[in-house]
Amino acid sequence: MTRRWSGLAAFLVAAPVLVGVAYSLFASVGLRGGSGGFSAEPWTAAFADHRLVIGLAWSLWVAAIATAIASLAAILVATLFRSGTRSSGVARFLAVVPLPLPHVAAGVLGVLVLGQSGLLARGAFLAGWIDQPAAMPALIYDRWGIGLILVLAWKEFPFIALIAFSLLAGRGKSLEEAARTLGAHRWAIFRTVTWPVLWRGLAPAVVAVFAFVTGTYEATVLLAPSDPLALPLMTIERYTDIGVASRAEAHVLVLMGLLAGLGAVVLHEAVRAWDRPSA
Amino acid sequence: MIMGCNRGAPEPASNAVTALPWDSVLVLARGSTVTWRMWRGDPSINAFIDQWVAPRLVAQYGITLEVVPGQGPGIVNLLVTEREAGARGSTDLLWINGATFASLRREALLLGPWADRLPNAQYVDTASPIIARDFEQDPGGYESPWGQVEYALIYDNARVSSPPRNVTALGAWIDAHPGRFTHDQSFSGMTFLKILMYALAGGAERFQGGFDSLAYVAGRDSVMGWLTRHRASFWRGGATYPAGVAELHRLFANGEIDFSMSNNENEVITKVRQGILPVTARPLLLTDGMLANAHYLGISVNARNPAGAMVVADFLLSPEAQLEKLRPEVWADGSVLDVSRIPEPWRGRFMAQARDQHALSPESLRLHARPEVAPEYHERLTEDWRRMIRANAPR
Repeated sequence: MTRRWSGLAAFLVAAPVLVGVAYSLFASVGLRGGSGGFSAEPWTAAFADHRLVIGLAWSLWVAAIATAIASLAAILVATLFRSGTRSSGVARFLAVVPLPLPHVAAGVLGVLVLGQSGLLARGAFLAGWIDQPAAMPALIYDRWGIGLILVLAWKEFPFIALIAFSLLAGRGKSLEEAARTLGAHRWAIFRTVTWPVLWRGLAPAVVAVFAFVTGTYEATVLLAPSDPLALPLMTIERYTDIGVASRAEAHVLVLMGLLAGLGAVVLHEAVRAWDRPSA
Repeated sequence: MIMGCNRGAPEPASNAVTALPWDSVLVLARGSTVTWRMWRGDPSINAFIDQWVAPRLVAQYGITLEVVPGQGPGIVNLLVTEREAGARGSTDLLWINGATFASLRREALLLGPWADRLPNAQYVDTASPIIARDFEQDPGGYESPWGQVEYALIYDNARVSSPPRNVTALGAWIDAHPGRFTHDQSFSGMTFLKILMYALAGGAERFQGGFDSLAYVAGRDSVMGWLTRHRASFWRGGATYPAGVAELHRLFANGEIDFSMSNNENEVITKVRQGILPVTARPLLLTDGMLANAHYLGISVNARNPAGAMVVADFLLSPEAQLEKLRPEVWADGSVLDVSRIPEPWRGRFMAQARDQHALSPESLRLHARPEVAPEYHERLTEDWRRMIRANAPR
């Protein structure tokens, strides 16, 4: 009985996504979203275009690096400031301050700080490190997405950190105490108790961040270069193109983005299944 | 499907409304609400609509105006989705032109013809090719004009004392000042490419009379050749381009580049007043010719209140509304009326309209205005620029 209800609950959660996927599938072959009729051309056209592959790879790169930086920073901060002291409490509070900030605001902040006429450039100019603000190395609209990666990592870090704090304060703490009474050293405790507790607890959040960041538009449109063109930018560009014909291709790109997120989820499940026997 | 739930008095079919005598349209519209989907990105335009138009519609016609955001392809996507869902319309009035008008007509999503039945339509400057043809399409009564603009570059005369006056001189200026010029990737930037196409490949006349692929390929190759020649001297070496005109304005205002551009020659006036652009910013017309176009109002085919929408469109065409919209401290949007046709006292007021110090003279605007061509030119040029230039950033 419980099992049946949980199945229904899962279905209700998944239903909107499934409806969206179904619509995108139909629209991507010309059966929805304007006059026309069935055609496989949007798929062949999308895959014949090397820009799609490059854009997808670029978005995965940005998402992977930003997620990795955010996760490592969160783990570092959570392990460094876990004690009950006042200063640790303040540090934990400060770490989650950016959490309620909207992504578009984070993007604008990125432009204001990292742009070639931004605070960093003006500061470096005033300090005499560069001859003019424009001599500042390009950190936004740059080919490697450095500015975008920094902003996304900074924006996602509090979310992962918040979970890391609660993991260490709860289950982690009692297991560590057990290990300590059994005579384990600090490094041994970290390796055999703290780290496994952290990564198993954080993995779902990290996967969620990766999937979100791959498809995020607001910060990307403000900070990403025009070549390579990130997947979410390419998707919106096709969807809002003047010619209605590009709509179908936009839906192909939507499905690609979804597939990337799904890939991360599947990978996570596989790693969990492989890890379970030893746990 | 749920049937038979439509009780009460049957509403007249939308198409019947467009054929009613004007007095009946006014009666139907009284006490109604008109939902207007329009671009909401400019505070001066929003203030004109919300604080000047809306209260007058209530006072004069008993119409409540409800403004919702949406523009261009978004409007097409929305109406297509509504038709698929069999939903009642969420929009009565639409702010459209050019390619959006073409898409909506192609998909049969516009109501009409109705525009020529508006009483104030008699004052429209129908002799102007900019107003009478929307990207070479005949509005055919499916849209009513309500404003016109001309493309202009924007420069800062505190930084650039003698700006280039034509495309050749602009190219030389770019090469002499590396990193100080770019255009954006969206509508304004692609319109700039079309201006280059006119200038470099035989003028606007060469591209008139519908889409011609031979003329297009010749024009495109000239544009891409010019861009390739000067690209290394563009901002960031032409490796990346600002997403939209707002980013372009920001780069210009922050001194990262020396030129911005706008679809509206008077945008510099409103942006200076808003403090976004420096007071020394000036509009600049290139003597090769600048694109001019009109914007229009359409009524969606599934509109709930076509009568109200017609009354609003008529009010916006009135000399009173056109003059208010033209004032530099309001919006500085060009009037679509023929001053010689409108009655006094409005004619005198139009003539007496003081010009802002940033404004260009009507004579030079008229001299440099070139009409838009078939929307395919814009579509193809955009796609080819993305493929040939943008996707091949120099490393």
